[in-house]
Amino acid sequence: MIVEGSVLPIPRANIDTDQIIPAHYLTRIDADGMGEHLFEGMPDGARLLALHPGASIVVAGENFGCGSSREHAAWALLGRGFRAVIAPSFARIFNENAYNNGVVPVVLSQETVDELMGARTIAIDVDNETLSADGGEPISFALDPLRKQFVLGGGVLKYLASKIPSVREWEAAR
Amino acid sequence: MKRSLFDKLWDAHVVEQLPGGNALVFMDLVVAHEITTPPGAIAIEKDFDDKLYAPERIVSMIDHVAPAKDAATAIQAQTVRTWSKRHGIRFHDIGNNGICHVLVPERGYVTPGMTVCCGDSHTCTLGALGAFALGIGTTAQAGAMLAGCLILQRPKVMRIEITGQLPPDATAKDLTLSVIATIGFRGGTGYVLEYTGSAVRALDMEQRMTLCNMAIEAGATTGIIASDATTAAYLATTPCAPTGWEALQADDDAEYAATVTIDASTIRPVVSWGTNPGENSRIDGTVPFDAPAESLAYMDLKPGQALRSIAIDQAFIGSCTNSRIGDLRAAAAVMRGQQVSVPTIITPGSQAVRRQAEREGLHDIFQDAGALWTHSSCGPCLGMSMGVLAAGTRCVSSSNRNFPGRMGDGGRVHLAAPAVVAASAILGRIASPSEITARAVVLA
Repeated sequence: MIVEGSVLPIPRANIDTDQIIPAHYLTRIDADGMGEHLFEGMPDGARLLALHPGASIVVAGENFGCGSSREHAAWALLGRGFRAVIAPSFARIFNENAYNNGVVPVVLSQETVDELMGARTIAIDVDNETLSADGGEPISFALDPLRKQFVLGGGVLKYLASKIPSVREWEAAR
Repeated sequence: MKRSLFDKLWDAHVVEQLPGGNALVFMDLVVAHEITTPPGAIAIEKDFDDKLYAPERIVSMIDHVAPAKDAATAIQAQTVRTWSKRHGIRFHDIGNNGICHVLVPERGYVTPGMTVCCGDSHTCTLGALGAFALGIGTTAQAGAMLAGCLILQRPKVMRIEITGQLPPDATAKDLTLSVIATIGFRGGTGYVLEYTGSAVRALDMEQRMTLCNMAIEAGATTGIIASDATTAAYLATTPCAPTGWEALQADDDAEYAATVTIDASTIRPVVSWGTNPGENSRIDGTVPFDAPAESLAYMDLKPGQALRSIAIDQAFIGSCTNSRIGDLRAAAAVMRGQQVSVPTIITPGSQAVRRQAEREGLHDIFQDAGALWTHSSCGPCLGMSMGVLAAGTRCVSSSNRNFPGRMGDGGRVHLAAPAVVAASAILGRIASPSEITARAVVLA
């Protein structure tokens, strides 16, 4: 799977999920309708999105997705056409939510992320865990080998459903 | 190997090791509320024949927007209501409800040694009971309801040893904000914080919940405190806690990936000045000169400005951090016989807390002072309902997050303990409770 597109750079750490999607939009019983409100909680969110129309890969600072557990943050990114986030680190829950929804969370060093902030387009080879900025040399990264499968297809719930018999067995022997 | 408390909890719940350092971890309890549960419940209904692993291991409630504020939130509540009834899930409807992290422990649904998850980041609160409790997303929660398990990377364990004794005017809120400032807003990422030491042992259960509640604000997977006689005494007062739970402790000389020691006697009342909870300072101090310019621009503050000079527009006492009976008593002690000078909202953490407060006459103290006394909900903490901030206005709040826009687009939040919020509400600026005491003496 190749995720390719232009970059939305957010050169700051600690982009929390309230900034990604404010709580007053969390009033639906499905995952739809979040994309149009992406980054509305970020003081310069609208300006950044307008500066980078059609972007599909976020490049951001450390601790992206911190705060609330709201999976709506991943849904809002997807709904706006974003398929990957590149950052030096992710908050745990956002990282899990990203994998579970097919948003690829790519961890790279701060130095590399700083360089990628200036890239126009990035192509991410999910299978081989490499990316290339503006056609440059490939840069390697590492994905969680299990959760990567949820991105490539199948989904986490199907995987977990396949585990039910062994969970029941474990619980009975507990 | 000598094991930490967390190691023991983890080891007792791993069903299977999975590739890439992941594990399938059994969940003894799934907590469900109306904001994050419906999409997962609907996914199970559509794709997995509506089959839950164990409905008796789920508890649900309406807590964030209670009662519904509009058609959309009414549908959220109704979805959880009908789903709970269909599956025979223990359900707490409005009138009998509370913020999940307040209601679940007060009913005795969590006992030491359990694992608990909820689609809510402040689930770490329940670690105060010696449980492994963590926040997760909607899909992971659906997985736990479908298959009884989460897929987790094993976190490292950071021991937070808090020695000595807290000064009389320092609270668990000041302690937890100080822990975040010490290890950093993302300093706990990848870790469980295991709180130990004499100052932790001395906290009552509500204070322990306040301490663990904000572990997520340091990025930690959760916070956890070993159960003891205080835990047992608390659980004995709850209506549903089973007896016979096993008290787990860390081994002597357990190994930790990191250890941080904090002398409790150095903890002073603090208030946040920035846009994450780690950006806080002693209330008697000033906005630091090395404060990030971006935070100060959002908060409209200047380096060197005295924190107690900052005028406010609103005060809020509530949220899963500080809305329990002890928090309300602390606020009432400051507000008794006083008048608030800004709009002040006081929201108990559960309807049970509300009724207890009213038995003690706290609601009269608040209302005599001119504050708004509400029913239980998450309230304005996350800017969804009941007191959302207008852009450019400033609120002192007993809640847990001061992120940009958290309590309303463009709103500014200063985090503090309930007594500090009460004092600030009276003086219309960030204020210390001792200022009210001194004023009361002068007025007398």
